[in-house]
Amino acid sequence: MKSSSLRQKFSGLCLLLLLIFALAPQLAQAQKSPATDVAKRIDASLAAELGAAADKTPLADDETFLRRVTLDLIGDLPTPEEVIAFVLDSSPNKRAMAVDRLLADKRYGENWGNYFRDVILYRRSDERALLAGPTIQKYFADQFNGGAGWDAIARDFITARGDVREAGNTGVIMAQMGQPPEVAAEMARIFLGIQIQCAQCHDHPTDRWKRSQFHELVAFFPRLTVRPVRDGEKRSFAVVSQDAQPRKAPKDGKYRGSPEHFMPDLNDPSAKGTEMTPVFFLTGKKLELGTPDVKRRSTLADWFTAKGNPWFAKAFVNRIWFEMVGSGFYEPIDDLGPDREATAPKTLDILAIAFANHDYDVKWLMRAIAATNAYQHESVSRGTASSSPFAANIPQPLRADQIYDALTTALGVDDFDSAKPERIKGYRGGQQGARGEFNRTFGFDPSLPRDEVAASIPQALVLMNSPILQRAISANAGSTLLGRLSSEKLNDDEIVAELYLRCLAREPKPDELHACVSHISTNKNRSEALEDVLWALLNSTEFSQRK
Amino acid sequence: MNLWQRQTGVQVNRDGVIGRRDFVRGVSAASLAAGTLSWTDLMSVRADDLRSRGMACILLFMRGGPSQFETFSPKPGHEHGGDTKVIDTAAPGIQFADNVPHMAKIANELAVIRSMTMKEGNHVRATYLMHTGYAPTASVKYPTLGALVAKEIGDKTTDLPSFVRIGDRAADGGGGMLGVEYDAFSMSNAAAPANTNLPSGADRYDRRLGLLSRLESSYAAQGSSQEVAEHQKLYAKAAKMITSAKMEAFQLEREPDSMRDAYGRSEFGAGCLLARRLVEAGVTFVEVSVNGWDTHDNNFERVGKLCGQVDQPAAQLIADLKQRGMLEKTLVVWMGEFGRTPKINPRGGRDHFPKAFNLVMAGGGVRGGQVIGATDPGGNEVVERPVSAQDLFQSFCKSLAIDSAKENMSGIGRPIKIVDGGKPVDELFA
Repeated sequence: MKSSSLRQKFSGLCLLLLLIFALAPQLAQAQKSPATDVAKRIDASLAAELGAAADKTPLADDETFLRRVTLDLIGDLPTPEEVIAFVLDSSPNKRAMAVDRLLADKRYGENWGNYFRDVILYRRSDERALLAGPTIQKYFADQFNGGAGWDAIARDFITARGDVREAGNTGVIMAQMGQPPEVAAEMARIFLGIQIQCAQCHDHPTDRWKRSQFHELVAFFPRLTVRPVRDGEKRSFAVVSQDAQPRKAPKDGKYRGSPEHFMPDLNDPSAKGTEMTPVFFLTGKKLELGTPDVKRRSTLADWFTAKGNPWFAKAFVNRIWFEMVGSGFYEPIDDLGPDREATAPKTLDILAIAFANHDYDVKWLMRAIAATNAYQHESVSRGTASSSPFAANIPQPLRADQIYDALTTALGVDDFDSAKPERIKGYRGGQQGARGEFNRTFGFDPSLPRDEVAASIPQALVLMNSPILQRAISANAGSTLLGRLSSEKLNDDEIVAELYLRCLAREPKPDELHACVSHISTNKNRSEALEDVLWALLNSTEFSQRK
Repeated sequence: MNLWQRQTGVQVNRDGVIGRRDFVRGVSAASLAAGTLSWTDLMSVRADDLRSRGMACILLFMRGGPSQFETFSPKPGHEHGGDTKVIDTAAPGIQFADNVPHMAKIANELAVIRSMTMKEGNHVRATYLMHTGYAPTASVKYPTLGALVAKEIGDKTTDLPSFVRIGDRAADGGGGMLGVEYDAFSMSNAAAPANTNLPSGADRYDRRLGLLSRLESSYAAQGSSQEVAEHQKLYAKAAKMITSAKMEAFQLEREPDSMRDAYGRSEFGAGCLLARRLVEAGVTFVEVSVNGWDTHDNNFERVGKLCGQVDQPAAQLIADLKQRGMLEKTLVVWMGEFGRTPKINPRGGRDHFPKAFNLVMAGGGVRGGQVIGATDPGGNEVVERPVSAQDLFQSFCKSLAIDSAKENMSGIGRPIKIVDGGKPVDELFA
């Protein structure tokens, strides 16, 4: 894309604006969707539950909103053209229209595919699960972009079978190598927001689930197994049902491979333990011993996703709300109870019930959240926000893929060259190239409370010193961003404004413009000084976060 | 004080690590009562005490599972022993396989445990267990040994990272529930660490930091002062590290040729020499790994070659630490994730065997010249003094003066002991 000065852009916008106004009536129809109504009810409910605190912060300005919502929904930065068009647009519906545009972008599914791949794989108990990373991501991307309901997605994961490099919905099972207790625990954590695995070894000290209830949940999974697949060069694994008679008791005395699950005897770990009937702890519904694997898991999927199961909707709503608003109704986001207290529980109920009534439509939920004032408020630092929950949005550190995409977009490249172009061997080979390196350096478990997610020195070193970024910020190569801008004879003010728009999706404030321009004018070497400005913007706090 | 600190007024305190939780909460009566007192707070209470101990640990990890029969637990005369020859060592009555002549010469510094036993026969799970002391689970991400040691006894005043890993693999684990600040500073080999060379010279680097600082103060004034303060602390710490004189520790070329030759010119030799340099410079935990020990076929020739790469550097590392007066305060551990089967398979290989295997420890208060535990004549079973992974971790803690009963909080507020169960192998220290 050829860059042009701001002034040129402003004058070139007329056509674009005409187009927007022409489309406005149709988009206004979409604006009257239930998502907007629910958003109003959410804000009213928050005000009722939390008092005046819920609405004392002003809404974020247009630039902040657009950068926030673009990063949240598609995991990338808005382009300078998008920023300018949005700011100049006088339509009252422009925020909702931006949300609709982003939800129709294929990067929407890819972004949330990255997110849920990380949700699953950061809890892997076996490194070999990394093999399945790209397939898991693609599965989610396709489902989200195709508009699949969260219930259909959950069902796919619970009932998954097949080669893990072909069926991305095997991810949760593969991440735990098919170990029934771990699979059961992860299904409950991810899809119900319940940490029942604490009851694996003892009755839970604070929750009311009993140890036997956890093992009754495990009893839905004893007949699945993960087997190596070796056909030719390809090395993979497959999730298969195994309903045949149990293999001989293995020599370690545990009854793996048994068609029924046995709860170990804590006083005698070598004993066979107690045979467990599959019972769903939330409802008490049960299956007969001897039920085949396919039936067990499809029945459990029915029970997990039933409209009458509030946990299923709440767990997802809480997770997405946390990611977008910056704080959750429950934190940690995957630990909802039963005896935890929510911030604004009635509001969560409203949103969760509406989400279920909209058939677990993920785009609908994001549209509703994005339309709330709670989402659109200015942000305040996490440390100061806790005193008045949901009174403001809270800045989030960018996830690894968001940082990677923001950097490539800001610098106008498709991809960075990998520092290690050779194929990475072994299971880490699941993510190749520069993006894989970024993920290994910047990645974090997205289910963690964000005050436990700390930036690391190697992350700072990548942004400060890595050869791939140094090449990309060079002003001396014609193909780089600065190389192109330098050839356009822009003055210092214009070039700084352009860099701000590209890196931070806003124009510089006067003191920032002054600091940058004086840095350029006091350096003898203009190319070097421009590189310094770009370097500083990419290394700024603001770049690594969405506020 | 460098330009960065002048500009920002940020002083790197002695922990220097950015933890949002620390920043946000500080020390409160509530956190004390809840047992969530952050480690930085603990460190500031106990740092002087801990630092004065000056303990360090070097883990030499033999990835794939080294054969005990061809290293430190030969079985001459038994069919399971194969054709492996034995040699006498400097320690009276102790014999090693002839693959490790250099280690044999310093056997008076070595304690060999021949009775390691556990149940994990899969590389990934066993590697996890031997690095964390726990079997892998979905619900708790246990920290790896280096992270635990860095957290408990790391020198918070040093410019260098407390935990460096040379030859990185994800399976070895990181900070886990302790957070990324305890992840290893990873290097794929002993060459210069990634992204630590200033791309533009020191003066320009300072100018860039100066500009960044001015822009950051503007952003901080826009309502993000807390985020900016954390970010600046991190950048100050990173900048301090890469501009530190101590970064010389990473430069092996500063060693005389005679020293480099003494360690051997292999990649593992370079890793061992770098480990010694780093510990000397204040790093608390260094892990050096070498691949290739998964000898399902052609075991004897392959283990012979691997020992050829490993024996001399490992022995030289221990001798060098001793000569420098560092061995008493530096625990050196040679181990893999498990051992190899007594029975030799039809391909002349040995398969995975977690039931009875060996490892070697030296320094850190460990009494050398001894063998702990024994297997039956065929190496099938531990018959004397079985040692579990938990016992081993208890022993590490004892050597390094770490309170193994101390609890860390998992993400969902579940207290996790540094080591759960097991007892230290007291003979190591007797």
